[in-house]
Amino acid sequence: MKDSAFLKEMEEASKEQISSCYQCYRCTIGCPVVSRMDLKPHMVIRYIILGEREKVLSSKTIWTCLQCITCSVRCPNDIDIAHVFDTARKLSIKEEMASNRDTWLFDSLFLESVKKHGRLNEIEAILKYKLAKKDLFSDTKMGMDMFLKGRIGIMPHNIKDRKGMGRIFENLKEGTGRDR
Amino acid sequence: MILTYYPGCSLKTSSKFYDASIKRVFSSYGVQMDELDDWSCCGASAAHTIDDKLAHALVARNLSIAEKKGNPLFAPCSACYNRAKTTNETLRIDRSLREEINGVISPLNCLGTVEVLNIIEIFKDFIGLERLTEKLRYDLSSLKVVPYYGCVLTRITKFMPFDDREDPKSMDMVLWISGVETIKWPYKMECCGASKTLTDKDLTFELSSRIMDMAFTLGADAIVTPCPLCQLNLDILPSLGKKERVLPILFLSEVFELAIFGNLSGTSSHMIPVDGVTGKIGKKHSP
Repeated sequence: MKDSAFLKEMEEASKEQISSCYQCYRCTIGCPVVSRMDLKPHMVIRYIILGEREKVLSSKTIWTCLQCITCSVRCPNDIDIAHVFDTARKLSIKEEMASNRDTWLFDSLFLESVKKHGRLNEIEAILKYKLAKKDLFSDTKMGMDMFLKGRIGIMPHNIKDRKGMGRIFENLKEGTGRDR
Repeated sequence: MILTYYPGCSLKTSSKFYDASIKRVFSSYGVQMDELDDWSCCGASAAHTIDDKLAHALVARNLSIAEKKGNPLFAPCSACYNRAKTTNETLRIDRSLREEINGVISPLNCLGTVEVLNIIEIFKDFIGLERLTEKLRYDLSSLKVVPYYGCVLTRITKFMPFDDREDPKSMDMVLWISGVETIKWPYKMECCGASKTLTDKDLTFELSSRIMDMAFTLGADAIVTPCPLCQLNLDILPSLGKKERVLPILFLSEVFELAIFGNLSGTSSHMIPVDGVTGKIGKKHSP
């Protein structure tokens, strides 16, 4: 089913002129992970223009993207394609169409740790992710090797102004900026 | 020469030896680094995935503290640099977004006026190529390296990057000054798998292996990168099963450690041993 408002919605949310795409395929040609995508990057852009909301938001492609930004810097129409995908991710989570939630889950736990400590506590975010995935032991070798080389921090790095950090997150949640 | 130093989370955890190496090298050039007071995480790739405004707010908090000092802000991590640069330029130009973000980080206030610099710019422009040569005491001419820039250092979409987005040469130039031999290769901008190390390990392994194989095939002794995530993704390849045809991955500052001191302070932190590299260093003959 086509959704004629989808293009406008995506353009406003991403602030990108998606409609200027003329299908030159440069984004797809340069993508290092295109072989793992269901829709090729230029197809995603085309489907947005055509209003194929479900096809785009439930695609594997938007989550396979590494945000390496190659497509964006090569686009002759200056569409930041990686950012368009990033925008589609948020919408696909909101509308419960995400084909894979791993990246979202890890990034959420990453930010939870930053909210709490002010800096990322890697081991905390990683363990929470592993617990949520019910997969505690698959990366034990990598973890042990890193630990032995002193490349995993155990203790959290707490900043002084943790209250202020918490306030930043709260302000955004409530959407209450300072009165202008 | 004073810099406000933003180490970022990686340089305080998984890449502590990068922090140590930078301090060792920069102090010998008389660069004073004042660590940004009470700095917090820049949000890296996580924040903009979840919420664009949060991504700006997390960076703006740090920028606002840096602005009070007035010195250039130095961020050695490529992700930190990219985020800081992007928010700094965006907020300076976009007044309504700036006011909104300042509402979120209040009572702090960010104008977007600080000069954000990465490690290549520090070597090339802040210290300067000519002054770089003054401290070099070791001969690195038998060392062959490939310069690996990684994705996000120059791939900045809305603003002028400091070097070409797709074919940067600034690090090649800095490396040339150090005395190493740089090899031309097609993978200076290839993606290592970025932050998918945990969420899609096979993908990271595949992409990083390809980069490693290319460097090995071309006969390099080491890969040189400024980015802590690139360094880590390539350095953990043996733990993920790639035992052969691997090369050490040096940070850019480590090349200068070799050229100035003849050794590395972070030898024991490298997952892939660096002996093959340190063994090739000779003392310079005085002219």
